[in-house]
Amino acid sequence: MNKKIILFLVILLWIVLALAMIISKQSTFKTGKAVVLETVPVDPRDLLRGDYVVLRYKISTLDLNQIKSEKMDYRAGEAIYVKLEPKGKFWEPTAVQSKRSSDNGIYIRGKVRHTYSKQLTVIYGIESYFVPEGEGKELERNTRGSKSSVSVEAIVDSGGNALIKKVYIDKNR
Amino acid sequence: MIFGLVFWLVIIYFVVRWLSSRQKRNYGWLQREVPLWEQKNIINTEQGNSVLGLYKLKRIEPRGKMDMVKVLTLIGAIFIGVGVIFFVASNWQRIPAHVKTVLIMAVTIFTLYLGYFFSYEKQGFANLGNSLLLLASLFWGGTVALIGQIYNIPPSQNWLIMLIWAFPIVPIAIFFDNEYVHILASALFLIWNFLYTVNNSVANYYYPIIIFLFMLPTAKKLIISRRINIIGLVIASLYCCFYKYEWLALMVSAGLLVYYLIQKEEFVYLYAGCLSFIFWTITFFTVRETQPNFYFLIPMGIILYLTHKDRVRENLVMCLVGLLIWLNLSLYSFSQIFGYKFNIINFIVLQSLAGMVIYIIGIISKNREYAFFEIYKVFGYLVSFICTYLLSFQAMLELGVGERVNNVYFAGCLLLIAVMVLLVMEETTKGHFKNKAAYLELSALLAALLGNLILLTSPSLFTGTLAANAVLVIFAIINIFLGVELKASSVFTAGTGIFALFIITRYIDVGWRLKEKSLFFIVGGLIILSLGVFLEKQRRKVIERMRQDE
Repeated sequence: MNKKIILFLVILLWIVLALAMIISKQSTFKTGKAVVLETVPVDPRDLLRGDYVVLRYKISTLDLNQIKSEKMDYRAGEAIYVKLEPKGKFWEPTAVQSKRSSDNGIYIRGKVRHTYSKQLTVIYGIESYFVPEGEGKELERNTRGSKSSVSVEAIVDSGGNALIKKVYIDKNR
Repeated sequence: MIFGLVFWLVIIYFVVRWLSSRQKRNYGWLQREVPLWEQKNIINTEQGNSVLGLYKLKRIEPRGKMDMVKVLTLIGAIFIGVGVIFFVASNWQRIPAHVKTVLIMAVTIFTLYLGYFFSYEKQGFANLGNSLLLLASLFWGGTVALIGQIYNIPPSQNWLIMLIWAFPIVPIAIFFDNEYVHILASALFLIWNFLYTVNNSVANYYYPIIIFLFMLPTAKKLIISRRINIIGLVIASLYCCFYKYEWLALMVSAGLLVYYLIQKEEFVYLYAGCLSFIFWTITFFTVRETQPNFYFLIPMGIILYLTHKDRVRENLVMCLVGLLIWLNLSLYSFSQIFGYKFNIINFIVLQSLAGMVIYIIGIISKNREYAFFEIYKVFGYLVSFICTYLLSFQAMLELGVGERVNNVYFAGCLLLIAVMVLLVMEETTKGHFKNKAAYLELSALLAALLGNLILLTSPSLFTGTLAANAVLVIFAIINIFLGVELKASSVFTAGTGIFALFIITRYIDVGWRLKEKSLFFIVGGLIILSLGVFLEKQRRKVIERMRQDE
């Protein structure tokens, strides 16, 4: 095959792939709805890894005794949809199900990481927040101790995909 | 089981090291000498090729002078690429994210074009062109990482970043014949497979498919790239043992074997295939604990046949280890079926007997002038000796005290003894055991057999320890006599070595229990030093006498 054509095709492939990555994420921002999630204090040793911050949310651990669930036996690796509803300042989980309902509610898609005695540890793909080099220390300080003063505004689209829009640090807390 | 695996890994390490150092020394010498003989017109090129062909050796190409331009452009490209990736990682926010993305994408495409231009359009800048193509591939990685960073793609999805980085650079590696990019893509696929397996806990069947279909066929002349991909496949097979993906391990193993059949000149495929099949049988065991894997014997039979046919010495050790691992796993499965617990003494005695069977196969191979007889003999001897040495410790035997005999292993031992007897009888009827050396070897085997039988049947700790130690001493004495008989200094030296090891071990073994350790070690050290000097003097005298006799 002509090398020039290959060059052209490779350039095209790279541009298409880069655009596809950007468009898929941008469409979540465009079509999704904003929810504010409360983070929970994490062990500072695990918090900062290089230039990103590890975030844990209240919705990262789901107690099936307290939340409505269509079943009790979820497997590790299973995809789930968690219904979120605003309760005060933050959005909280109200139901867990394997498939998304057709109602107008906001459902965030997650993957079960561990299960332990009707408690699910779930990841939603919004557990990392990349920060400029050396600026993670403040976030680390604010999530240390018994109370966390960091909250996250995330965008959830109709498919349940979530992206972090903003991280808030409440310094007065 | 872990103990068993560690045991076999130690054995394989020593035997392969011994073999490869010996072989490399001899063959390397021949590879260097043949061109010299040709230069001096002692032989012509055809004869040189015949000599090398006899040992399946490749002609060593004269080393070209290092091309400084090539090295510098390559290092420059790597430095710039790494610098850009670091720039992305620093997440510098003075430039808006979308500007950064457009900027890096533009630089990437421009670099790719420059790489093409200097490789194919402008004459005489091929090295620069190749380095720029590598740089463009690194920039592409930077672009993907930047997009991942902007949208906070979590590290648990780094496998996706690796895949999006690796796949689109494959056309550059293949169609532009770029070795550097091929190596980069191979390494990225390897990392992708690791991250995918760890983060998703799902068997990654795509990895072997990509490697077998795209990377290996295009890496025929690229040794580093080929080796990275083969190592990647073996690692993929190794993961299967922990994640219980038996079909994936089988797929990788079969693929490697098929590749060896297609490209016979590359022995690495055979080593990798053999190792991968061993991982497969371990995975099979972890998945179905109570089902012995008899299917394993089919590929292992084929590999054993190919190893002999193509004279791949090192692989024979791997095959023997594989077969022994299989034997142990099968016996363990039968033990599970019949409800017997693992018994360490039964386990070690079985290995020792297996070693003896392998040694006898070595003797038979030598008598019939088959290839590799020395590997069978050394391997079998080492296995049997190490097992007996382990059993000579009272502490080791104490581990098995009060444990119920595992009848499955016991039956396995009896089966091995029966095989041994049949082999020796067959050889005796053909009149092969008629010289003094053969009698000495048979005596050592008989002593080891009796010792193992006592260990297997006697519940007494004292009798067991005595039997194992007696066998060790007999090994040492017979080695010394055999060395003199065969005029082989290595065998003689091994005998004195075993004797010295026996004395040192037993001295420490006993002395360790004494309260006054300092005096014990000082006196012991002096005695052992004197013994060492005495043995060395005797050894030199005997070897000198052997030389004079010759």
